[in-house]
Amino acid sequence: MSTATSLSTTNRNDLSHLGIIQSEWIKLRSLRSTWWTFAILFVITVGVGIQMSSSTSFAWLDGGLSQTGMQAAGVNAVIIGTDINVLVVSVLGVLVIASEYSTGMIRSTFTTVPQRVPALLAKSLVLAIGTFLVVALAVAITIPISIGLLAGNGIDVRLDDPHYWRAMIGSICYLVLIGLMAFGIGAILRSIAGGIAVALGLVFVAPLALGLVGGSSAPQIWLQNFVALLPFNLGRALTAHPGYADFASPGVPLQRPEGLWVLEPWQGALGLVMWVVVVFTAAIVLLKRRDA
Amino acid sequence: MTDVRTIEVEAVTKRFGAVAAVNSLSFQVAPGRVTGFLGPNGAGKTTTLRMLLGLVRPTEGRATFGGVAYADLDSPLRTVGAALEAASFHPGRSARNHLAILATASRIPRARIDATLDLVGLSEFADRRVGGYSLGMRQRLGLASALLGDPGVLVLDEPINGLDPEGIKWIRSLLRALAGEGRTVLVSSHLLSEVQQSVDDVIIIARGELVHEGTLSSLSAGDSLSVLVDAPDRAALAAALSAAGFTVTAARAGLVVVGVEAEEVGRAAFAAGVPLSTLHRQSSGLEETFLHLVGGDR
Ligand SMILES: Nc1ncnc2c1ncn2[C@@H]1O[C@H](COP(=O)(O)OP(=O)(O)OP(=O)(O)O)[C@@H](O)[C@H]1O
Ligand SMILES: [Mg+2]
Repeated sequence: MSTATSLSTTNRNDLSHLGIIQSEWIKLRSLRSTWWTFAILFVITVGVGIQMSSSTSFAWLDGGLSQTGMQAAGVNAVIIGTDINVLVVSVLGVLVIASEYSTGMIRSTFTTVPQRVPALLAKSLVLAIGTFLVVALAVAITIPISIGLLAGNGIDVRLDDPHYWRAMIGSICYLVLIGLMAFGIGAILRSIAGGIAVALGLVFVAPLALGLVGGSSAPQIWLQNFVALLPFNLGRALTAHPGYADFASPGVPLQRPEGLWVLEPWQGALGLVMWVVVVFTAAIVLLKRRDA
Repeated sequence: MTDVRTIEVEAVTKRFGAVAAVNSLSFQVAPGRVTGFLGPNGAGKTTTLRMLLGLVRPTEGRATFGGVAYADLDSPLRTVGAALEAASFHPGRSARNHLAILATASRIPRARIDATLDLVGLSEFADRRVGGYSLGMRQRLGLASALLGDPGVLVLDEPINGLDPEGIKWIRSLLRALAGEGRTVLVSSHLLSEVQQSVDDVIIIARGELVHEGTLSSLSAGDSLSVLVDAPDRAALAAALSAAGFTVTAARAGLVVVGVEAEEVGRAAFAAGVPLSTLHRQSSGLEETFLHLVGGDR
């Protein structure tokens, strides 16, 4: 066949990155589970934020809270729901990719985009953008409500505090990055149940279990430092406010053991990005190699 | 349809661990014809088609479309339309959304979605979740996915499975029409009778190996003839036929005479003056030839 040899330049490739991204966007929005998960993310952010804002008060404290303590209280009130939402984005991240394997949709995906990797990246991009927009919207709605409620409790949060905004944006990015990491885990394991178990194990169980061991009778600094590099604690670092100590234990300086790492927010962000990069690298290598 | 290609399978082997699902299999599928890809359960049909589509990597050999591997096609969905036996869609989506996903990634015009839904008779159900579809409706959606890009090559894994008689009739004429337009059409089945009326060529595999490749009529060449004959007085008939030199075996419905035409048997009975109640020609049938081919030493 004459057409058989047409690997020529005249033949335009139909698969464009934009088309693949748009296609993945249709996939995401055409499933009810996506909208349920987004709704849960939204409700938890706003609901828990409002609840925390209305119940935070330091009226009992002599001399009241310092301004930086109040800023930290303001941050805490808005992003407290993040600790629960980490669970929601982990499930969403795994679900988005592993459900393609469990349903057989992956065969359609791979016959449409035989190079495979562009589809995986487009899917993760769409997941990241969707999660970012939903959480950012929820946070944007929660902030003014939270500030109003806190003011009623005598906590005046000032908005000219860059740390406040950094923590807000940090909490949004934290959820996006955890969602991506869970996505990578789902791509590696290709199973909804297995993916969710491993993602939640890594995000929730590992820091808790190792933290207990590390904090036992003889504190093991190296283990505690290792625990600091787990996603959950990297997220803590990313969303921390410098006034946290004033807010968490007002008047009493926090005792930190010698040699324990205290990560800066940017280090928390970098650490989370590294987790995503490592998991994605493994996912891509396996994606190219494995049979579907 | 822009690009018609020959399917070329060259010495392909696929091993899953110790199991060789496909073993050094070679064949070609020509354009303009409907080719049946036949073999019993577990023969390796689906595995072969998955290798063609780049879903499964061959252990050895290569499977291409006119020399180009699926993954290297410029416009995969416009060149090859595939419907795999197992469902390849998310049950939570509607048929329309499923097709929109494929069309958007491949820059296939949106108008093709409605046109294909219409063609396979799913328009009415297009906005329902696929999870609620019957087996036949899923087959139609698979077919719609395959036809969406108006491809020159069609690879269909058991497309007739689950269709009602009307659906079977419809798909047979559709396959004929597609080949009539010059496309390459490969259709797998584990039943010869299912595709017998619509295929020109057959490729038969068993235990991962090729056992027959050729036109449908080449399959019937090895056919053995027999005649079923009966008379109210069966004993007299048996005696007359034996006397005429035929080898006769008794069957429940009458006597079976092998290797002759009905006319000869009728003449012998007439000459002996035995009135007949039954006389008809039996072909051992393609299905039997097929079974013989794939049966082998299991
Ligand atoms: N992923 C896999 N892992 C291990 N073995 C496999 C795998 N896929 C297929 N096989 C084996 O390969 C052989 C061929 O299977 P295949 O599905 O290709 O047969 P088939 O001809 O399509 O059968 P059917 O008519 O039942 O659809 C079978 O023995 C099957 O068990
Ligand atoms: Mg099969």
